[in-house]
Amino acid sequence: MTMGPTPQESALSIGPIAIAPVEAPPEVQDLVPAYETRGVWRLALDVFLEHRLAVFGVGVVVFMVLFCFIGPLIYHTNQVDSNLNDSFLAPGAGHVLGTDQDGFDVMGRLMVGGQTSIEVGIAAAFIATAFGVIWGAVAGFFGRFVDAVMMRLVDVFLAIPPLFLLLFLASAFQPITLMTLIIVVAIDAWLIPARLVRAETLTLRTRDYVQAVTMMGGSGARIVFRHIVPNAIGTIMVNATFQVADAIILVAALGFLGLGIPLPATNWGRMLSDGVTFIFDGYWWLIYPAGIAIVLTVVAFNFIGDGLRDALEVRLQKR
Amino acid sequence: MTSRKAWRSKGLLSVVALAGTLLAAACGGGGGTSNKTKATFAELPGSAPNYILPLAKLQYFSVANLTQFQFLMYRPLYWFGKDGTVQLNDSLSLANAPQYSADGKSVTITLKNYKWSDGTPVTSRDVEFWQNLVTANKANWAGYSPGEYPDNVVSTTVNSPTSITFNLSQAYGSYFFTYNELSQVSPLPQHVWDKTSASGAVGDYDKTSDGAQAVYKFLDQEAMSVGTYNTNPLWQVVDGPWKLKSIDTTGNVKFVPNPQYSGPVKPKLAEFDEVPFTAESAEFNLLKGGPNQPNSVDYGYIPYSDAMQKTQITNLGYRFEPWTGWEVSYFPENFTNPTSGPIFSQLYFRQAMQLLVDQSTYINKAYNGYSYPTYGPVPVRPTSSFVSSFEKSNPYPFNVNAAVALLQQHGWTVNPGGVDTCTSPGTAPNQCGQGIAAGAQASFHLEYANGQASFDQMMTQFKTDFSKAGIQINLSSNTFNTVIGNAIPCQAGKPCTWDMEFWGVWVYSPDYYPTGDLLWATGAGSNSNGYSDPNADQLISATETSNSLQAMYQYEDYLAKNLPVVWMPTPYLQLSAINSNLQGVDPQDPLANLYPENWSWSS
Repeated sequence: MTMGPTPQESALSIGPIAIAPVEAPPEVQDLVPAYETRGVWRLALDVFLEHRLAVFGVGVVVFMVLFCFIGPLIYHTNQVDSNLNDSFLAPGAGHVLGTDQDGFDVMGRLMVGGQTSIEVGIAAAFIATAFGVIWGAVAGFFGRFVDAVMMRLVDVFLAIPPLFLLLFLASAFQPITLMTLIIVVAIDAWLIPARLVRAETLTLRTRDYVQAVTMMGGSGARIVFRHIVPNAIGTIMVNATFQVADAIILVAALGFLGLGIPLPATNWGRMLSDGVTFIFDGYWWLIYPAGIAIVLTVVAFNFIGDGLRDALEVRLQKR
Repeated sequence: MTSRKAWRSKGLLSVVALAGTLLAAACGGGGGTSNKTKATFAELPGSAPNYILPLAKLQYFSVANLTQFQFLMYRPLYWFGKDGTVQLNDSLSLANAPQYSADGKSVTITLKNYKWSDGTPVTSRDVEFWQNLVTANKANWAGYSPGEYPDNVVSTTVNSPTSITFNLSQAYGSYFFTYNELSQVSPLPQHVWDKTSASGAVGDYDKTSDGAQAVYKFLDQEAMSVGTYNTNPLWQVVDGPWKLKSIDTTGNVKFVPNPQYSGPVKPKLAEFDEVPFTAESAEFNLLKGGPNQPNSVDYGYIPYSDAMQKTQITNLGYRFEPWTGWEVSYFPENFTNPTSGPIFSQLYFRQAMQLLVDQSTYINKAYNGYSYPTYGPVPVRPTSSFVSSFEKSNPYPFNVNAAVALLQQHGWTVNPGGVDTCTSPGTAPNQCGQGIAAGAQASFHLEYANGQASFDQMMTQFKTDFSKAGIQINLSSNTFNTVIGNAIPCQAGKPCTWDMEFWGVWVYSPDYYPTGDLLWATGAGSNSNGYSDPNADQLISATETSNSLQAMYQYEDYLAKNLPVVWMPTPYLQLSAINSNLQGVDPQDPLANLYPENWSWSS
């Protein structure tokens, strides 16, 4: 028998998303400040927008996405065929950021490399977060033996140095494609959201509305997916943004260590690694652009995460 | 305020001290010696020594294993390399010059008075031991060429403890036989190695074929275990100027002088070390630290991609000396690969590939000019009379359109940027050729040695240029030792999927006379791609029986046209950076030999 939502459940829910907008009586509407009539998401948005660095972060991310995905449509370069005769050209007319050791235009390369970095970063973060959330929620909700086994597994993975695990996985998943890179990074990244959500679940499962569903015969899956996870959404979203930043760094690290996608594909980490090879030759344009792109994007996602944390923290919202 | 002032005083002192240290470091750019008693040599990336037995298989037949490792401990019977030229070095040889009989069908070798490190004399029995091992195990030896050495030594006669005669199957050119056959003979310590197990007694096992095979099997197994070299008694008895002090599996090698060395030049250094690097950038970083830092390299190299840094390096206290090698660069295509082999077997296809090699660009951009064109099997440098005018010309100059036309004329549908497909199978002149099925694709895997930026650049451009003619190259890189280990002909019953392997260069050592008998004769031990051509075999054979240059010219012209491999520009052996106070290094031997026994530190 399929259990549908019941009026009692809604009435008992006190989590952020269960709060219905409160309509003030017409006669008092003029006396009530406007923000009191806003929904929880609107309140969160207000707080987020007050976080200037978070807004800056959004701007940077939007810029990077446009730069990497729309940029190649405007700034045309050949990123497939190398041309050694054009190698190491200094920035100038024709090549805004110069050319690299294979004669590829660095600006164009930055766009192509950014596509990989951002795609892998976001996709790996999504997979890692989704898997980690489910893992942590299930472990936290069911507790006891299930929790012990599942979280010891997490502990085992956490005990392995991330870079070692990453290198091992990257070696095992040869040849590296975009999809394998996403999976490799996700395998390395799901542990933190699993722990965070498990901790959140331990507090949520004692709440009245969860107890009520349990008493009404709600299944474990229903409780986890309809009540636990939605009420941990703040933690999840904040962590997801950090996961994107971490994933971009991991992709860069793998690329730096030569375990990225094979040529002519690239990513910012590989660009940086290639540039470091020629660090003594004065080719600064092989290092700074890729380095700045990594730093800017990672910092931007971190700022967004900070902003989201503030925005979704109930105590900081104005009512 | 007081504490702040004190801090400022301490800070000032620290700054002064720091400045003094920096000044001292900066002024130390004279390649300081600090009473050094040892010298350090940088191994090329990924090419750590990993095989100590002089009778080496193809996968271990490398400069790192032979000239820069084994030869320091186990001297060949005849030493080649003298004053920076390719010639027999009487002084360093273990025997007097070979005496050929009047009919050219036998040669007598008289040993000098050399001793093993345990005091036992080096005798003709040790030469015979080598001969017996090689004869019984020639299939495992990279120096083997069917019909030639050791097949052409029909018997040996031990005349005395210091004299042995090789009886030959036919008359040979003395130049060829000395430079390519006797050059490979290396006396081995029979009194220590002639046994079939670690605990077994030494005997005369080598005197039967089965016994010699059992001895080789034992020695080969021991030699493959690098981790045991330090303690294995087998490797403690040497006749070279150096003994192994220690080695690890990553390639850190330490040698100490062999006090019993009987040669004319005794080591002056207390220790000679070789240090490994996974990438040339790591070595270069160390070099940039200057010769005065604790773990500095005394004899290293500047990566080709950083050649413009040579002035900074020399200012630090190094000499910059490009090392010319007696070598050619190429990469083999695997004729024995069941899938791609039939395609590579077509001359037109090899010609198309050679037309896609832009040597000029590789030389100028990837090697920064420290390389020279190579169109055939005979080294262009150092200058010699062996190079024909045809080989110096470029039979297949870079021309994408010509390559495309060749493929189209032979039944391929060319798809620039994609993959060519054979659409006209068959053996007619306008068809793809024997063994190539309809729909066969011109898509190959090329594995190359990693750790060198110039290789990365060259291979990336190579892939691009080939794709212009629709030949798809899938690149991957691996360590030098892995690449040469993979580049062996396919054997029945064993997996074999490689298409092309590129490790860099072939140094003509110990086959000093560049007839290619080790490389391109059918079934030769170092014929890594299984190339087989009756005309080539005949021409190679002619170079062996005649001292005539015409025979050499005919052979090299044919191989320049017939393309047993894809010829690539040949770089210098390395762009050496040598501590300016390290004496005795020059001239660098084009045969890639090291002579650390000649080295010393100037005050």
